[in-house]
Amino acid sequence: MSTPIVEFKNFGFKYKSQTSATLHDINLTINKGEKVLILGPSGSGKSTLANCINGLNPFSYDGVITGSCKIAGMETKNASIFALSKVVGTVLQDSDAQFVGLSVGEDIAFALENQSMPREEMLPKVERAAGIVGMTDFMMHVPYDLSGGQKQKVALAGVLHGDVDILIFDEPLASLDPRMGMTAVELIDRIHKEQNKTVLIIEHRLEDVLHCHVDRIILMNEGRIVYDGVPDKLLASDLLTRYGIREPLYIMAMKYAGCELFPNQNLSDIQHMDISPFEEKLKKQHMVDIEKHVPKIGEEILKVENVTFAYGKNPVLKDISFTIRRGEKVAFVGKNGAGKSTMAKLICGIVRPREGRVLMNGSDYMNLSIKEIGERIGYVMQNPNQMLVKDIIKDEVELAMLLRGKSRKEIDEAVKEALKMCGLYPMRNWPISAVSYGQKKRVTIASILVLQPEIIILDEPTAGQDFRHYTEIMEFLDELNREYGITIVFITHDMHLAIQYTDRAVVFSEGEVVADDSVFKVLSNDQVIERANLKQTSLYTLAMRLGLDPEAYIEHFINYERMMRAHGKQAAD
Amino acid sequence: MENRLLINLIPGETFLHKLTGKTKVRTFIILLVFIIMSFDMRLILPLFILGIIGLRSLEPNWKTIKYFFIVIGAVNLLNIVLFWLADPDIGAYWCGGGHTVLFSLSGRFYLTAETLWYLSVRYIKMITSFMVSLVFILSITPSEMAAGLYSIKVPYKICTIFSIAFRYIPDIGRDFNNIKVSLQTRGVELDPKKVSLKSRLKQNVLILVPLIITSFDRVGNISNAMDLRGYGRGKTRTYYSEHEELKADKVFKVIYTILLLFCVYWIITQNIMPQTFKMWYPFA
Repeated sequence: MSTPIVEFKNFGFKYKSQTSATLHDINLTINKGEKVLILGPSGSGKSTLANCINGLNPFSYDGVITGSCKIAGMETKNASIFALSKVVGTVLQDSDAQFVGLSVGEDIAFALENQSMPREEMLPKVERAAGIVGMTDFMMHVPYDLSGGQKQKVALAGVLHGDVDILIFDEPLASLDPRMGMTAVELIDRIHKEQNKTVLIIEHRLEDVLHCHVDRIILMNEGRIVYDGVPDKLLASDLLTRYGIREPLYIMAMKYAGCELFPNQNLSDIQHMDISPFEEKLKKQHMVDIEKHVPKIGEEILKVENVTFAYGKNPVLKDISFTIRRGEKVAFVGKNGAGKSTMAKLICGIVRPREGRVLMNGSDYMNLSIKEIGERIGYVMQNPNQMLVKDIIKDEVELAMLLRGKSRKEIDEAVKEALKMCGLYPMRNWPISAVSYGQKKRVTIASILVLQPEIIILDEPTAGQDFRHYTEIMEFLDELNREYGITIVFITHDMHLAIQYTDRAVVFSEGEVVADDSVFKVLSNDQVIERANLKQTSLYTLAMRLGLDPEAYIEHFINYERMMRAHGKQAAD
Repeated sequence: MENRLLINLIPGETFLHKLTGKTKVRTFIILLVFIIMSFDMRLILPLFILGIIGLRSLEPNWKTIKYFFIVIGAVNLLNIVLFWLADPDIGAYWCGGGHTVLFSLSGRFYLTAETLWYLSVRYIKMITSFMVSLVFILSITPSEMAAGLYSIKVPYKICTIFSIAFRYIPDIGRDFNNIKVSLQTRGVELDPKKVSLKSRLKQNVLILVPLIITSFDRVGNISNAMDLRGYGRGKTRTYYSEHEELKADKVFKVIYTILLLFCVYWIITQNIMPQTFKMWYPFA
């Protein structure tokens, strides 16, 4: 009945540049028409596995294959990437870089151009593919005018032509806001059903992918498959926490409540699973009295008053006002282009307001230079590679002090302090190229902290990080906030981050602030969620199904979680 | 906001915009040959006028191109003034030895009608070649350029360089800005009023390190995306942006073919086997 389309047998892969193999003993069969999620932390080999299917390994990344891998009957060792590209379509993670055409139509046509297809045959195919992903009205748009989600749709359309049987999505949610991510998951599901394709999704955001049904989950760790089966069984087990994958929030809530989970309970579908066996325990848990988290906040440190800003004639910020208090952790949320990044740039003095004032400790500082503002407000970019200019960690961290002509003694003291705060002191003489991505992130933070700013602003601090690294970075920032009283602003569209690590969210939509409130209040306000391209968390759904007030339920959960984290910390210390 | 270049990425709506890339590239190349070979007002002036008409028909953003016109106009003016200063009698050699002095400042500096004629031909030739190039650049998109070059047998991997470069230049510009800004907040001073040129140059080098690293990351991704969609598989390629030939393209084909034949004739008679070294001078 079912025909295997991907068959790994005792498969292994070792990159030429590495000493040990990245994949070991892979035995995996995927049947035609299946929808499979490949899950795993960073470095678990999940992307390597996908690249062995689409032919990038060993075509682009040289390496040695052991064992056998057959795709649609073709042994990949002997097949070229071109032969494989006729069967396997891949949507890469970087939706911007993979957009090679100068317009939507051209990008969708790229594969057909490469086949030397005459233009008159090409046009209807491009039209059809654009129709499937819903981009027909955008054919003449340039990539710069498209959102991340739209670019991804174009990338998908570009691989839908012809006889492609297998579609691989490499971290499709990484650069999308929550609503776009949800749409992307729905689109993948629709294509899977309507076009009868075999779909492989590589992700570590389990909860978001489970928004639509998945036939099977393959969990990878350290180059091996550690689980291969239905989602429900995985959710009921403790494998996710063991291998550093974030459990869906509702599963966490159920586990906190002491519910016993079994694989036959339809656990992966929060909308339809039978909630009655858990109801009593969940409600009881909700009654548990826990200490409310009260952030230690001080006086007003930053005040934005009626600020308006425009790039040329396009208004980007319209009459914005809010305040941030010392020691607060605030998230700027909203979809791309809503104005949250511009607001951050404005606070750092990179752009200046057309109207209105920005005050720090009560005085307008907009007359200062970027350099001077940089001593009081630090800005950490999303991609550490865009910030690092030196070879050695210590040199990188001292750069800002050096550029300000401080004395050697002052520099050494400040650098030592900053390195210690970031836990990098023992590594101070290491070359930056030798450290991991997360550590690079720390180096960039240290290089900002060396100036002892009162506020630091972080742009998407966890983008592209798996749960373990994510937790590590966020705990570290939490500690900076707790121990040193540094005020932190996050620019993010990760609602998990906002829920778990911030006190307050300022929600931007089309250049306006549409909400400025605690995260759980924001997340239970449908209108705000709609305007800011956010989405309901599964906790909201769970609360509704239990007949509880979502706001109170989410708040309770957050406080409980904070308590658990604090306990975990104490236990570890 | 993103597209501050002169180049269009999406074809415009005017007559010249709607020609195929093949027509545009071929016409441009033949016109360039035409300009280079001719040192004759009878040939250059009509093209000069056509250039003005062509430029107007494209409905360009005059504000941006005004700047180019001023620079090119001024540089070439300087150029012919230097020519004149070097040898005020230079026209005599080209215009059959006449020496009609229009006015003279001193024994060394005088202006003859022949020199004036020669220098005007030279100036108009320069401006015409600039204008023809501008019309070409404004009327074509990088993809059409790639398709056009491919139509004259340039290997498609070279053609792709054009379209890909224009696709990613704005992205690299954006990266550059981000990096610059982050370094500025850390204390790199790029304000010309506050630091010397030398230290600004030095600090600009700092920006290059991360820019190169991020660009390399991007190049890796781009090449993977292209490989995965079969780029480089075949010996030939077709172009989505190259629409079928319209009536105007066929008319242009006739015109540029005739022009090409004329160029061949002219080069042979005037450049390879010239009868005289004289240029056409109506007032001799």
